[in-house]
Amino acid sequence: MGLIFREKEIAPCTVRVSHCFDELSAHVKFDNGAVVHPGDTVLVQGPEIMAPYGEVVEERRTAIITRASRLEQLWTRATGDFEFMELCEFSFSEEVMS
Amino acid sequence: MNTHAMPHSADATTAEEALARQEVIDSSMATEVAMQNTLLTPRFYTTDFDEMDAIDVSGVRKDWDELIGRMKSDPNKGHFKKNADWDEIDWDGMEPKLKAEFIDFLISSCTAEFSGCVLYKEMKRRGKNADITTLFQLMARDEARHAGFINDALREAGIAVNLGFLTQAKKYTYFRPKFIYYATYLSEKIGYARYITIFRHLEAHPEQRFHPIFKWFREWCNDEFSHGEAFALLLKTDPKLTSGINKYWIKFFLTAVYSTMSVRDHQRPAFHAALGVDPTWYGQEVFRKTSEISRQVFPLTLDINHPRWQPNLDRMQAANAEISAARKAGGVGGWLRRQVASAKAAAAFVSLMTIPSIPNAVPETTRLVPAY
Repeated sequence: MGLIFREKEIAPCTVRVSHCFDELSAHVKFDNGAVVHPGDTVLVQGPEIMAPYGEVVEERRTAIITRASRLEQLWTRATGDFEFMELCEFSFSEEVMS
Repeated sequence: MNTHAMPHSADATTAEEALARQEVIDSSMATEVAMQNTLLTPRFYTTDFDEMDAIDVSGVRKDWDELIGRMKSDPNKGHFKKNADWDEIDWDGMEPKLKAEFIDFLISSCTAEFSGCVLYKEMKRRGKNADITTLFQLMARDEARHAGFINDALREAGIAVNLGFLTQAKKYTYFRPKFIYYATYLSEKIGYARYITIFRHLEAHPEQRFHPIFKWFREWCNDEFSHGEAFALLLKTDPKLTSGINKYWIKFFLTAVYSTMSVRDHQRPAFHAALGVDPTWYGQEVFRKTSEISRQVFPLTLDINHPRWQPNLDRMQAANAEISAARKAGGVGGWLRRQVASAKAAAAFVSLMTIPSIPNAVPETTRLVPAY
């Protein structure tokens, strides 16, 4: 890992989307056991994935993991904690009263 | 429920196609018009998984096993079904401001449930400690169920959630394990207090229940209550988590969560007016219940009756309104106004943080049952 430069790697992944009445969820799992660290960015390649209502969709895709530089990782570790408000039901959504 | 085999893309290569299919499936629904799309924007977290794996629940084993056993038995499994109690809603006839605020309420609730689900699933997947991964698996199940239920209510209103974030760049942020415990514990318990307070109010004033989803709040919040119980036990496993410098972190989390809630609720005047609830009264009632519950594990509670409490919440709210107005105004003037308003909000927060807290002697056993 570089101090300042980012590195990219490619990882096969499985995306699972459930768009059902009893489960709305979406998860990305790396099939090669790759793990993400603070500050890393993951981009799943290909068109948008959307399960029709009432269905579960599982797809194999490729993801590009952009590894954070050492500095970025330190920064994310130091500041990430303050985004916890997201977990509260009254947190600020992106589309407030737009 | 169909599971499509790979490499199908749900038979639709674009979200638009998928949404169009949805319309067909939903032909029985009143909303034949194109659905309005709302993009869910959850955050993605990593944490120190080794530290989390090192948790040892043997000190609270009996309570832990009972709680996990109850969660596994899934008492609310059959609850989240629409039955005859689900009244028809005249969305088109709803007063526009109320409709906008109510939909915003549903979207932020759905996003929170969804984010919880993403976080818990990640913990489950990357953890190795069976006690911890079992808990996160069960919590992810409940959150996904809640999100699905809210999603259904949104669909009735003609709003489709868009999971397009999946194929957008996602940056993983970092959350220290102890902060996950504090934040999750609090968000689950305050969630319980919020839902039950509205439920009880509407029980007494059914004429103000303008949407059937409120009828489901009791069982819903019992899930939140159990999740909070699990985190209370986790906090009990290591006395350091609730002593020393961590007392200040707990005070910080309490203050941040209470003040955010207060600011946020005051942004939905029409929603609260329709329910017949004064947001200031509601806030204090929720804080009172949450403080009472959190005495099971936190070594302090906030003094919500202190003379500086309410005035500073009001100041934060005014500063926040000013920040939004300045952002809309834009330009250099807008930027300057925003800096001033942000400084005012920060000053109000500092004032809230410096209110002396009320010490609490934590009981031996944490176990609580929903009592409100």
